[in-house]
Amino acid sequence: MEGLFFNVNGGYIEGIVRGYRNNLLNGQHYANLTQCENIDGQFLLQTCELHASNTSEIVDVKLQLAPAYGDFLATLPPNPSTSALAAKTTDKLVSEFRYLQAQATGSLAKFMEYLTYGYMIDNVALLITGTLHERDTRELLERCHPLGWFETMPVLCVATNIEELYNSVLVETPLAPYFKGSLSHQDLDELNIEIVRNTLYKNYLEDFHHFVNTNPDFKGTPTQEIMSEILEFEADRRAINITLNSFGTELSKQDRRKLYPEFGKLYPEGSLMLSRADDVESVALAVSGVAEYKAFFDAVGLNQGGTEGLGNMGGGSSADGKSLEDLFYQREMELSKIVFTRQFTSAVVYAWVKLREQEIRNITWIAECIAQHQKERIGNYISVF
Amino acid sequence: MSGAVGREAVFPTRQSLGLMKSKLKGAETGHSLLKRKSEALTKRFREITRRIDEAKRKMGRMMQIAAFSLAEVTYAVGGDIGYQVQESAKQARFRVQAKQDNVSGVLLPQFESVIATGSNDFGLTGLGKGGQQVQRCRETYSRAVETLVELASLQTAFVMLDEVIKVVNRRVNAIEHIIIPRTENTIKYINTELDELDREEFYRLKKVSNKKQRDSAAQDAEMLAKRQAEDNKENEPAKAVIDQPADILGQEDEDVIF
Repeated sequence: MEGLFFNVNGGYIEGIVRGYRNNLLNGQHYANLTQCENIDGQFLLQTCELHASNTSEIVDVKLQLAPAYGDFLATLPPNPSTSALAAKTTDKLVSEFRYLQAQATGSLAKFMEYLTYGYMIDNVALLITGTLHERDTRELLERCHPLGWFETMPVLCVATNIEELYNSVLVETPLAPYFKGSLSHQDLDELNIEIVRNTLYKNYLEDFHHFVNTNPDFKGTPTQEIMSEILEFEADRRAINITLNSFGTELSKQDRRKLYPEFGKLYPEGSLMLSRADDVESVALAVSGVAEYKAFFDAVGLNQGGTEGLGNMGGGSSADGKSLEDLFYQREMELSKIVFTRQFTSAVVYAWVKLREQEIRNITWIAECIAQHQKERIGNYISVF
Repeated sequence: MSGAVGREAVFPTRQSLGLMKSKLKGAETGHSLLKRKSEALTKRFREITRRIDEAKRKMGRMMQIAAFSLAEVTYAVGGDIGYQVQESAKQARFRVQAKQDNVSGVLLPQFESVIATGSNDFGLTGLGKGGQQVQRCRETYSRAVETLVELASLQTAFVMLDEVIKVVNRRVNAIEHIIIPRTENTIKYINTELDELDREEFYRLKKVSNKKQRDSAAQDAEMLAKRQAEDNKENEPAKAVIDQPADILGQEDEDVIF
């Protein structure tokens, strides 16, 4: 029943997104990319691959990526830097996303707005940092993530002190509800910007979760089901990461607890245990209630007391070079991939954005490995197709 | 060579000979000392060159690893954290202390890296994701900077030692090829001059003694003549007496054959 009227508003977008999804690089593409000798060549090869032509001779990153990213990479100078490459690939994501956003209506448009809030939080955090240190925030606008761009963002640059900024954030941005109630303008001044950012993110995740579960358009649809799962995973991942990353820093346990999103598979018992955790073992114990996270911790050998393999690609100390963050990313990608098996849902947009982000990260990683001649770790990308 | 160096303008006296001899001795001692210093410095210099080579290779590796760890951060965080890190860094965590090292009288600056403990301004960066990578990247980079500091201290020592070795070698060569030969020349000159003087003196003395001898011989002769004359004067009457008989004999036997 729930799919009956989906196509009235969401059919076109879903179709487009599925088309975009087919454009994502697959394992074969990545395999070709890793064979590239330089960045120029790599992309070209990609082009040829998509046109099913003979690619065995070509060894250039640019060439390899050309079919998927051709238009956007055409303007790159020869031998581009990896950051320029990443910027261009992001540009493509942004322009496609903008197109979708322009097509979206109703709750789907709202859903896509929610998608951008995460980036907005990063941008606002950046501006807050700039204002705190009395920098010219206008220069920072260029550094902002284009997906998190909102029309009134340049207005924030007018603020010269943190109180003005706080007020303009409240008035001008869609993030106002995330500030209100949990952060005051003194907090912006006193708290570490990372804490501010994570508080906002927590509020954002909770709001997003609430939105997909209560919005009449999404309630009882596959969207609710899928998005709940993805967001719960995201919430758990953040909680675990914050806990692990806070060891050895001045972040107190009480403050840490405030940063855990109040939903997800770990909430409430796991979160409580996480908030009390002092070391990696207790984190592992806290998450042991959820089978999949327990499997992650087992995989990276944290239960054996090793702490070296914590970060992703942590020097290859853990088995097959996978680390906890790698596994989290892997899991996220798998969840996103599964989304495409469902019909009549706007969650595909979310999944597609995440997949594209990972793809950009993969391309950057591979390009970086090629540029720095570190071929032995080049296989650390995550490919789910 | 030694002919070209000339000699010092001194009066060829015994005193200046003594001075020159002590100067030569001093120069020789100085030469051997400086030579030893130069050798010590050169030894150190070679060691530093070797260590610079090592440090440079190490730096290459470290910088590569560091750059790669930054790539890991980019991958994990999925964005640019540069600005945030820049802004949250409030005080230097990595400091350099300069010390002095004494190598055979040459003061070489030595830099030591000190990592201020407890200062971790951006410890929370990447709290949501990638924090581990950020911290590891920071450690890698601080190790890379350590290598750079080590290299800087070696390079400074290298430049300074090079300068000092040049100066010392110039001194050694100057002493060896200029001062010692010149002093030796001077000594030789003084010796020849003194010998000359000696010979002159000797000849003069000889002349004087010859003259004296001649004079005394003349005097002696004169004296002898005088004495003879006196003797003759005394013996004259006796002679006449004695002559008489003889005369008789002579006169009588004129044609007697003996």
